[in-house]
Amino acid sequence: MRRRSLLKSLALTPTAALADPTPQQSAPPARSVDEIPKIEASIPDLAGEPVVRFFTPKQFAALQKLADAIMPALNGTPGALEARAPEFLDFLLSQSHADRQKLYRDGLDKLAAGASFDAPLRIPWTWDPPKDPFAAFLRAAKEDILNATVNSYEWAAVVSKRNRNAAGLGTYWSVIE
Amino acid sequence: MAPDYDVLIIGSGASGGMAAHTLTAKGIKCLMLDAGPAVDYNRHRSLKHVYDLPYRGFGKPGLFPHVTQANEFTANLWLNEQQNPYSYPENDPYYWVRVRLIGGRTNMWGRASWRLSDYEFGCGDHDGFGDNWPLRYKDLAPYYDRAEPLFRVSGRKENLPQLPDGIFLPDESTDSPSVKRFNQAADARGIPITKQRRATGQLASSGNLLLPDALATGNLTIVPNAIVRRITTDKNTGLVNGVDFVDRVSKREYHTKARVIVLGAGTLESTRLLLNSGIANSSGMLGRYLFDQFYVKNTVQAVVPEARDGKGRGLMGGGGYIVRFRNVKQKEKNFLRGWAADYSSGGSPNPKYFPLYGAELQKELNATAGTGFTMTTMGEVLPRYEHFVAIDSKLKDDWGIPSLRITQRYTENEFAMAKDAMNTMAELCETAGFKILEKHDKMVPPGESIHELGTCRMGDNPKKSVLNKWNQAHDIKNLFVVDGSSFVSGGPQNPTLTILALSIRASEYLAEQMRTKTI
Repeated sequence: MRRRSLLKSLALTPTAALADPTPQQSAPPARSVDEIPKIEASIPDLAGEPVVRFFTPKQFAALQKLADAIMPALNGTPGALEARAPEFLDFLLSQSHADRQKLYRDGLDKLAAGASFDAPLRIPWTWDPPKDPFAAFLRAAKEDILNATVNSYEWAAVVSKRNRNAAGLGTYWSVIE
Repeated sequence: MAPDYDVLIIGSGASGGMAAHTLTAKGIKCLMLDAGPAVDYNRHRSLKHVYDLPYRGFGKPGLFPHVTQANEFTANLWLNEQQNPYSYPENDPYYWVRVRLIGGRTNMWGRASWRLSDYEFGCGDHDGFGDNWPLRYKDLAPYYDRAEPLFRVSGRKENLPQLPDGIFLPDESTDSPSVKRFNQAADARGIPITKQRRATGQLASSGNLLLPDALATGNLTIVPNAIVRRITTDKNTGLVNGVDFVDRVSKREYHTKARVIVLGAGTLESTRLLLNSGIANSSGMLGRYLFDQFYVKNTVQAVVPEARDGKGRGLMGGGGYIVRFRNVKQKEKNFLRGWAADYSSGGSPNPKYFPLYGAELQKELNATAGTGFTMTTMGEVLPRYEHFVAIDSKLKDDWGIPSLRITQRYTENEFAMAKDAMNTMAELCETAGFKILEKHDKMVPPGESIHELGTCRMGDNPKKSVLNKWNQAHDIKNLFVVDGSSFVSGGPQNPTLTILALSIRASEYLAEQMRTKTI
């Protein structure tokens, strides 16, 4: 429910189509009949709850716990849970390479069985990947959880209000035929 | 009936675009075939929020296993790897980074524009390894002089023999205090530094700088989506006389005649086409001597301590370039040739560098925002016969064209050079008073720098090279190959400016040969 209330509190909407509250019933449109307006659209994340289907309930609960520890809500910015980062990663992992799926599943099983993430997350980072699969999982999960959070709509909505440049706006290339 | 053209140009990027620009200005009618579609910067580009992308910016998993440059914003720009497979020996991955668009890879290049010097053109004389180019700096200098103004290259003159100056838009920007500290540390060790030399402008592509002028002459016809399958030859003369091509979208097959062919499809695509056509290889050298530049990204990631907690304003920003200095004045014990490096000030270090999480991590990220000082090494790779491409007869692309098997690995010389670069730059950072978060000497896989060179190299000896000093095939006088495949060595300098200069030079030679009816 935290997410619902957060969304309700957001002044920014992706549609940019903030309706005029005055009812205009059957008044004709102000534009000319030949003008074809651009149809603004929203995103599926705002239309429904993502369905978790890749991780087991135990694995998913462990991922939520880890995500909350790595990226908690701080100073008014949404955390990984508000940003639905675990749900997004469940989706991403469902389409990822089998090696990556195994890394995550084994890592989450270990977390669910009570392993601590604190010490491995405090191992200084090097360019050599960790040999221990659990440490390798935590390294990957840290990066993924952070990115899935700051690339979310929820994050952009809050940060955009503070800083126009921080909303993850980029130049997108459409299919070139 | 197909109209009559004087020259068929294959490829529309730096080399093909430059050839079209040069030839059409001399009144020569050119047909240009490119395997990709035309880009419309207004239609194909739009601003989007990362949350509006289906994969939140992560991109669809597995789409680009070999293109680390691809992200979800740019996924539609890179060549589809599934439709265009290639192979390499197990345990020796090669990252072949391709773009098929009108304008080629100049649609998204880094714009770094450096001249080569006689340390490269005469490299064999300098240290005894490998072959010299069949030309020297003085031969190419007049063409560099013309390429730089076209691409509006900005830079600072330094009068260094290993990195010749050019015709620059003067870069008179001042250095930030953090950059000055780094530069002073370099000066104290006699390490030359300069400003970046880059093509400027909103877009610095063949698509806006070369092709429009060529089209305006009325002498250029561009056909997009034309994938050339093979070059055909006249049985009696052995000369090239046309190409078979296939429409990328409909897969309809065509043949077009040609009096002269200028090949500029990009290093490995040009060589692949020649190999698939079974021509220009009496030397047996076609496909051999593949090299590039090795990259060590973020060789040193440092932070400037005084800039912490938002105090970086006025201290951070800008960057520069360490000019190759090894094996210039004195000989190194551990390796031949040398490296260069880009450095930049004012970025924010990646969260991975901090062994923290949660509130502690966010606090450190806030404190270090904008304090980063980082550098990327670019090192010369020795061209070797045993690094090569060949046709992989079992592997075809979606149009049924046999693809390449690519064999290249880095060797002790490159490893030793990367270590030297890491240690040198770490010393400079320490002298400058920066705090090093991490340093390393792990190069990205061959190919990832997108500076693949060689495989169709120039030379005076037709038994040891494919092209002569005019980028003309030794075997076939009406065939020219004007892209990076012609390089004999590459130094650590980004190659595009040299590709442009070589293409102008070869095209002018061709125009003169056509005028005197030699071709």
